[in-house]
Amino acid sequence: MSDNIGIEAMNLYGGRASLDVHALCKYRGLEVARFENLLMDEKTIALPYEDPVSFAANAAKPLIDQMSKEDKSRIEMVICCTESGIDFGKSISTYVHDLLSLPSNCRLFEIKQACYSGAAGLQMAVNFLLSGTSPGAKVLVITTDISRFALDDIEAVQEWAYSEPTSGAGAVAMIVSDTPHIFSIDPGAYGNHAFEVMDTCRPGPDTEAGDADLSLMAYLDCCNGAYKDYARRVEGADFRESFGYLCFHTPFGGMVKGAHRHLMRKLYKADMAVIDADFERRLTPSIAYGKHLGNTAGGSIFVALAGTLDTVELTEPVRVGLFSYGSGCCSEFFSGVITPHGQKVLKAMNIAEHLQQRYKLSIDQYEMLLKGEHTLRFGTRDAVFDHDIIEGLVPEGGANNWLVLDSVNSYHRTYRWV
Amino acid sequence: MDSNAIFQILINEIRSIIPELEDHPIARGDAMADLGVNSMERGDILVSTLEAIELEVPMTQLFGPRNLGELADLIHAKSAQQ
Repeated sequence: MSDNIGIEAMNLYGGRASLDVHALCKYRGLEVARFENLLMDEKTIALPYEDPVSFAANAAKPLIDQMSKEDKSRIEMVICCTESGIDFGKSISTYVHDLLSLPSNCRLFEIKQACYSGAAGLQMAVNFLLSGTSPGAKVLVITTDISRFALDDIEAVQEWAYSEPTSGAGAVAMIVSDTPHIFSIDPGAYGNHAFEVMDTCRPGPDTEAGDADLSLMAYLDCCNGAYKDYARRVEGADFRESFGYLCFHTPFGGMVKGAHRHLMRKLYKADMAVIDADFERRLTPSIAYGKHLGNTAGGSIFVALAGTLDTVELTEPVRVGLFSYGSGCCSEFFSGVITPHGQKVLKAMNIAEHLQQRYKLSIDQYEMLLKGEHTLRFGTRDAVFDHDIIEGLVPEGGANNWLVLDSVNSYHRTYRWV
Repeated sequence: MDSNAIFQILINEIRSIIPELEDHPIARGDAMADLGVNSMERGDILVSTLEAIELEVPMTQLFGPRNLGELADLIHAKSAQQ
């Protein structure tokens, strides 16, 4: 049994349409100067014919396509990690498993714990592999989350405030195995901090609620508590020295900056110049993609990891510290090693190029989508989708590399590659 | 340190983070949100205040006060427990 376990391959799907959040802030009358502190530029907009299943499959398809038949046959578990579930019983993994034509000797399930779900999914996969019960097995872990605001109530725009420009969408697919090219996890090196708190939640199928102050407080408490637990387990751990880079859960870049500042002050009483330089060096790479996606919830630490891998210069293996926080709440600080070889493997996915190629929605188009007339609501029995709602986005005779929703019949969703 | 002294520290921290409030009168009945302080800034002000009085307490225990006076009272109560 190998204890060299981690992420073999990874891909990020950041949608096919985006919105300039600076323009949105201006349009909503939010203070733009303050908004700059959030460290965001764009957010992904899920189209009415996209859902967490299509996002997940679009993230995973390029990974599956590049696998040999033999390797594909070793995928023995598909874990979808989400707070945007589409059914109380049936998991997203069942759809994804079918859409990717994966083997039938496979465990399929879904994990929920707000934005912590992705870390939970990765650890579940890692611990299955470390247990050695099925040597050589692989696990497909996919984080997939979509935030949808709907203009049912025009008053709601005021309440959304800064949560509207920061809520995004995205999916990250990862093959977890004993050949961890992208990220080799440090076995046993982790720390948790969890307690019950009502900071943010999704109390209804299409509603989000929360308190920004309480959420920030819980995030900071967890960042401190999870790191302390990590340091208790890992002899000689030093937040400043042990990690070349850091990837924190990113609701928006400003929150990461605040948490890093908090920890540096608490642990070292560091002054602002030291803190700023450290943030620039170790954390700025992590928001390279997040600032173009918005909050991707369960996937945000992996979006941060992808951004780091794709933007830093590595000449040797480097340890990365990751902090995941999910409202409600549960958190984890863990670590692993990235290498120059892993960078090459990830670069082949052309993530930056795909993000740049997204259709840039105008505010009018965004508002039209926001009205929600075309939105697929939770629990819809039957529906068909208008793929021309934004003209030209779904091409005639496309490359069959983009999965979209086609229809819903008796609650069963059907999809189509276009 | 009494609640009024903590209130003064809160005011100092607010003004150091938002210099535009330097000459703006701030009363115990004021809420930071009403003064235009956003949630990230409110978090920073709270962290700095706790540092200034050397109080180690989970941030979530300081959630709830509706204005600066109530916040000063709560921080005072927490510091008295330690």
